[in-house]
Amino acid sequence: MNIKKQFKEGLITNNPVLVQLIGMCATMAITTTLFNGVGMGLSVLIILTCCNVVVSALRKIIPNEIRLAIFVVIIAGFVTIVDLLLQAFIPALSEALGVFIPLIVVNCIIIGRAEAFCQKNTVGASFFDGIFQGLGYTCVLIIMCVVRELLGSGRFGGGLIDIANGFRFTLDGTGGGIQIFPADYGASILNLPFGGFLTLGTLIAVMQYALKKAAKKKELAEKAAAEAAEKEVED
Amino acid sequence: MLTNILSIALGAILINNFIFSQFLGCCPFLGCSSKVDTATGMGLAVVFVMGLASAICWVVDTYILVPLGLDFLETLAFILVIAALVQFVEMFLKKMVPSLYTALGIYLPLITTNCAVLGVVLLNVQNHYNFIESVVYGITGGLGFMLAIVLFASVRERIQFADYPECFEGFPICLVSAGLLALAFMGFSGMQIFG
Amino acid sequence: MKKILKLTFILFLICAVTAGILGGVNELTYRRIDEQNRIKTVKAYSSVLPADAYDEIDFAAAGVPETINKVTIDKISKAANGSGYVVESTFSGAQGSITMACGVDNNLRCTGISIIKHSETSGLGANAASSSEVGVNFRAQFVGQDGGIALKKSGGEIDALSGATITSTAVTKAVAVAIEAVGMLG
Repeated sequence: MNIKKQFKEGLITNNPVLVQLIGMCATMAITTTLFNGVGMGLSVLIILTCCNVVVSALRKIIPNEIRLAIFVVIIAGFVTIVDLLLQAFIPALSEALGVFIPLIVVNCIIIGRAEAFCQKNTVGASFFDGIFQGLGYTCVLIIMCVVRELLGSGRFGGGLIDIANGFRFTLDGTGGGIQIFPADYGASILNLPFGGFLTLGTLIAVMQYALKKAAKKKELAEKAAAEAAEKEVED
Repeated sequence: MLTNILSIALGAILINNFIFSQFLGCCPFLGCSSKVDTATGMGLAVVFVMGLASAICWVVDTYILVPLGLDFLETLAFILVIAALVQFVEMFLKKMVPSLYTALGIYLPLITTNCAVLGVVLLNVQNHYNFIESVVYGITGGLGFMLAIVLFASVRERIQFADYPECFEGFPICLVSAGLLALAFMGFSGMQIFG
Repeated sequence: MKKILKLTFILFLICAVTAGILGGVNELTYRRIDEQNRIKTVKAYSSVLPADAYDEIDFAAAGVPETINKVTIDKISKAANGSGYVVESTFSGAQGSITMACGVDNNLRCTGISIIKHSETSGLGANAASSSEVGVNFRAQFVGQDGGIALKKSGGEIDALSGATITSTAVTKAVAVAIEAVGMLG
């Protein structure tokens, strides 16, 4: 399994949210500020990578009959560790994400990767799978946050970036973000649950369009190549 | 007491609907909503499991985890309780109430990974609900889920005949219509019983 | 039968190892988590009514009911320098419950509010707690208000947050309740 292919799969062709269509609850619920999105994305990335490594390391010992139960225990373990660490070191993030941190346990991305990938692959491959799938997830979250925040409240980087005393990153969620246009002109409907559904729906639609177009282009190129080859034979 | 319970119920079904306002349980919501029958089956199974899980997890939390100072194990304990509960309910129904089993059977295994179920027990702990409040929140939360999924399934049956851009085929158009439903549910926010 | 026992044993072993590791992590973090929660409350308190220390008082014994006008009073603390009281209360907003600290001075005027916990809609109701300009301006309006506090649309002086009338009404009501409660203390 080569790393480059895994990278492309995680980010684009087999993106967990946009193509596999899993793990959507948190994607729609918490993507209201960049702070939440980056925090959630990185938490999932770390948990996913750890679980992938452990599951693939134990794959020969885990009895097939109770594998799902064991996966769930391992995942719940890592989720709780991350939850406790966040509460201790980045309390603002733990508060903003609330119940969605413990709910990573039932996020289908993690159990899905354990079942579909780590059971059959080596520790190394599973490690990179975790990183790239996690990155794919984080990217989607970031795109959702940026779109919803910009169009909804005319802001960029809420909670994460503070420009009150010069440009700096904040980890306590107090940054006001960069106001690009006055909040009153924003479509604040995008901050509501409706915005989550609409933005994700549109993103998936764009992805479907792009994938379809790429497939068509490839088909056309192949057809042209085949025709050219045929012509050569005829000549 | 009664007002309190009524306002929890109203909140869970309409105002803070699990799907449309809290985004809990979106995967089965989108996965099992292509037909009204399937949606009703899934909804019933969720009401059943959420009610039971709320009751059992409350007991486990109050009488085992908190007295022992093990509340950091909540997530782990709850997910194990839910998984075991789902297995048990499945076996019980198969033996004792076969007719209900044929109706709900195929949806039960899916519920373990339904974040609405784990969500409701975690929220019970977070909101410091007592036993009755927890059970009421569990059952009415499930009813809210069922209302959402049945409504959405009937919308979805009609989407097939609608004209929309080709790239919205499948999930995207469903998400957009679910969003419109969520917008309609927004109308309930601020509603208060005897307020 | 032997197989079931073996499976149970493996599952039990994995659960035990996981619980053990979690116990270790908890041991390392719980002091810090408690400390973080304490710092947060102190920060909220000192932002509404500056003082070196706050002494919690038994408000039930002083005849203040636990719930006034659907606002639950969690704690009332007296500032050690005698400048007034901080009332911590919980009430429902637009999306879920809001916990707020409200400072009240000896002349029964609000000295400031700070939202400790909430789950309001981001970009709308959540502005009541945010450190953005909108949030700061919203909270500043409460300083100096007395028991007759109300939103502009109800004939008062408080401008509601745009798109978040329910949150604004709830916060305003809770401030009025805090002042009322301190008034009862005498």
